[in-house]
Amino acid sequence: MADTATASATGGSEPAIGRGLKGLLLVALPVFLVGWLIIYPIIAAIVSTLFVEATDGVQFSTASYRFFFSDPYSRANLALTLWTTGVCAVLLLLVGLPIALYLRFSTSRFADLVQSLAIFPMFVPSIILSYALIRTIGPNGTVDILLNAVGLPKIPSPYLTPWGPVIGLVWDNLPLTVLMLTAGLAGISNSAVEAARDVGAGPIRVFWHIILPRMGNSILVTISFTVLGIFSSFTLPYVLGPASPEMMGPFMLRTFNDLYDPLNAKTQAVISFVFCLFFGIFYVWSIARNQRSQSR
Amino acid sequence: MARLTIESLRKSFASTVAVDDFSLDVADGELVCLLGPSGSGKSTILRMIGGFEQPTSGAIRIDGQDVSRLPPDRRPTGMVFQSHALWSHMNVFNNIAFGLKLRRLPRSEIRRKVEEALELVGLGGYGHRQTFQLSGGQQQRVALARSLVLEPKILLLDEPFASLDQHLRERLREEVRDIQQRLGITTLFVTHGQDEALAMADRIVVLRNGQCEQADAPDIIYRNPQTQFVAGFIGQMNFIAANVEGGTFRHPHVSIAVGVQDGPAVLAVRPEALGLAATDGEAGATVLRSTDFGSHIMVDVELADGTRLKAMTSPSIRWERGARARLVPAAYALYRDNRLVDSGRVEGRATTAASLDVVRVTV
Repeated sequence: MADTATASATGGSEPAIGRGLKGLLLVALPVFLVGWLIIYPIIAAIVSTLFVEATDGVQFSTASYRFFFSDPYSRANLALTLWTTGVCAVLLLLVGLPIALYLRFSTSRFADLVQSLAIFPMFVPSIILSYALIRTIGPNGTVDILLNAVGLPKIPSPYLTPWGPVIGLVWDNLPLTVLMLTAGLAGISNSAVEAARDVGAGPIRVFWHIILPRMGNSILVTISFTVLGIFSSFTLPYVLGPASPEMMGPFMLRTFNDLYDPLNAKTQAVISFVFCLFFGIFYVWSIARNQRSQSR
Repeated sequence: MARLTIESLRKSFASTVAVDDFSLDVADGELVCLLGPSGSGKSTILRMIGGFEQPTSGAIRIDGQDVSRLPPDRRPTGMVFQSHALWSHMNVFNNIAFGLKLRRLPRSEIRRKVEEALELVGLGGYGHRQTFQLSGGQQQRVALARSLVLEPKILLLDEPFASLDQHLRERLREEVRDIQQRLGITTLFVTHGQDEALAMADRIVVLRNGQCEQADAPDIIYRNPQTQFVAGFIGQMNFIAANVEGGTFRHPHVSIAVGVQDGPAVLAVRPEALGLAATDGEAGATVLRSTDFGSHIMVDVELADGTRLKAMTSPSIRWERGARARLVPAAYALYRDNRLVDSGRVEGRATTAASLDVVRVTV
């Protein structure tokens, strides 16, 4: 009897150890890749901007950071990037939320078509989107031609103005926004909405008092996720945006490629990273808060 | 205090008809149960009264006023949902107070009304609790209080106890019935549980395929079902299909004189009205099993044509598997094309209890 018990105990622990090893092996490769391709370059970039070559060897210096924050052009680029990110986030919520609400609560067949149209931009590469927008809303584009045909004046084109990247980025990020907001809305049951209607709430009050408070978390997740992508975007600001000031993506490339100034390019990258890290932490906090509330 | 009138209500979804020509008059303070299997249209009727579905045709009147086209927030109805539908971002007090706040009542009045509603459902002092801190039964009481606090003319209950365990369900249905009678509120209750309907309702409406099969008091529904469907749906019922020939329902195991024309018919006998008598003859039904429920024994028997029946017998009598038994029905109903065509007691048999006394033990 004792032998049997011992044998079964041994038999039980061996697979447990094996499972643990298999688990570690499964996560080893992604962890290694994250360390090699993401963590190491981040640390290397931060270190190389703070410890720079001087005449008497490597020295600790914050000169490149001081330059960035004292240089009006660099500050203007950062300000433009923050402005574009903020405006895009607000516009994405204003455009995405009504679409997500419609998709969540509509029972008509038309909703399928709206969903397809809302998701469509996800499958259009940014570069094609950029040129399509130039041909549509750029100078002498489709809109201008149509307005001209009916005897109306041309539109003030957003092409090569800060609004150019805003339009492109909103279009490009709309599918992800709608998908994430729709997923958040899926957690609100029909009966919760119907119960509110039953006690006398009209559609606007249902949205304000029932839907919005219960999807605050998914809005936070959506904002932090889209802001991360918009802040570090390149193609759309590069093609559609103004030459000066410019967003951080094109700014970094030009500093590195045209000015042959890797130290300042890396400094710009680290500063961009710090802002993105802030949104990243916000995103992780939102996810953790959401999981806590779901486990209750 | 209100009267609900439903006139020729119809609701169709694409190609299916969920409710077909349904009419009902619910008197002031009456509790009516809509009972039926899944897909019978009972919830759709309730949702149309609440304003969550638009009728394809027909009218819903509350105290004579047509509310068929009004949105839910403008109807004098209060609905309690199966899933409680409490708002998890509000505590118990705010859940109940939400409707009162929308009506812009003074804060002191809201507090008083909410506390009264909580006392009414037995949850006094629970206002500060979060909804997820409550048990299923408590959550359903909060949902009930949320509806009652607005003093609706019609209370609508959509399978409110379906997600609760049996013990809690029985307790809550008694409490709900008490509250409903105390307030005298006109109530429509949807359920697919016949026990619930029989225990609570002043009147039961049995639905099938969106149509009313029978609307009557619980005892009439049980004792005098007007259709074969109702007979089979409410309580346990044995059905024996055969022919009526020369004024007699003829089946190899049972023959009863009936007052209907010749033709196919279905004999219905409740287990408590079906006695068994021991027999050695081949014509007897075969006992499959007997289950002791303490107060009675339920004996399952099989007829020669494969029909299975249940007979409720006295616990003092034991039936062995394989024993032969003669069927001794005390009361019957006869259906043809789903309609009741005849019913009565069998000649020479007094009561069910008396019939059980004459059954001999076969061991």
